[in-house]
Amino acid sequence: MPPPPDPKGVFLNIPYDEEFRNLYIAYVVGLFQLDLVPHLASEIPGGDRRLNRIFELIQSCRYSIHDLSRVELSVVPPAAPRFNMPLELGMTITWANLNPDQHTWFVWESEPYRLQRSASDLNGTDPYIHNGTPEGVLRELRNAFHRDSMPSLQGMLHVYRFVYNNFNAILLRNGTHNPYDRSVFNELCMLSRILTDLIRLTRPEVF
Amino acid sequence: MRKPIYITAPRPTLEELKKQFPISKASERAIQALADEFKAQLSNREEAPVNSIKQEKRRKSASAA
Repeated sequence: MPPPPDPKGVFLNIPYDEEFRNLYIAYVVGLFQLDLVPHLASEIPGGDRRLNRIFELIQSCRYSIHDLSRVELSVVPPAAPRFNMPLELGMTITWANLNPDQHTWFVWESEPYRLQRSASDLNGTDPYIHNGTPEGVLRELRNAFHRDSMPSLQGMLHVYRFVYNNFNAILLRNGTHNPYDRSVFNELCMLSRILTDLIRLTRPEVF
Repeated sequence: MRKPIYITAPRPTLEELKKQFPISKASERAIQALADEFKAQLSNREEAPVNSIKQEKRRKSASAA
């Protein structure tokens, strides 16, 4: 058996593409504002088989968010459906069914009722609908998780906008165009946490 | 209606996060600069209503005179 999961850990199963950048930033910033810790497959160092490493990461997190809003044909030829996210969701469901006290998973979508068509086996699962907007992601994070000390949606959006406006500088500093690069993700996480601390100290009324 | 998950786990400490998400010294300095800028933005937003109250008082006293 693997060690017990981190009770603050949230595995993010999201598409790694440029169009998803704003929602990715919203997930990371929003989770830090709820004092949870996001994890991405890109964090895992090389070596072992990728799928094994992803499974270990899922096992190490108490929660996971599976965003199926972009399970579609790739734009770049040859057009192929994007199976990574449903594959990782399937692995997670199996793990959670075998170990219900160790893991809780959530499905996120951009449109209501789309999940019933794309994955009818998940009927009975209520997806969180973010409408494809950062505000929707932050709103749904607040619907999925509750803490005694919760920031307001406005406070969360304020931090999100600041991080989003400075994101290109983070990419530049890390010498990459890839928002999901490990070094970029690490910097995004540390910045999100420090800004959360700041807004908590200086504007306690938003908490 | 779904009930949200009630989180009781303690906040992750900064030290804990630094180990999980290691960044370079240059990135640390850049984040600090951004944090200072964010702090300045927050205090400007805080001061704005106070300044407008002061301006309103000045305007009223000037018109009374």
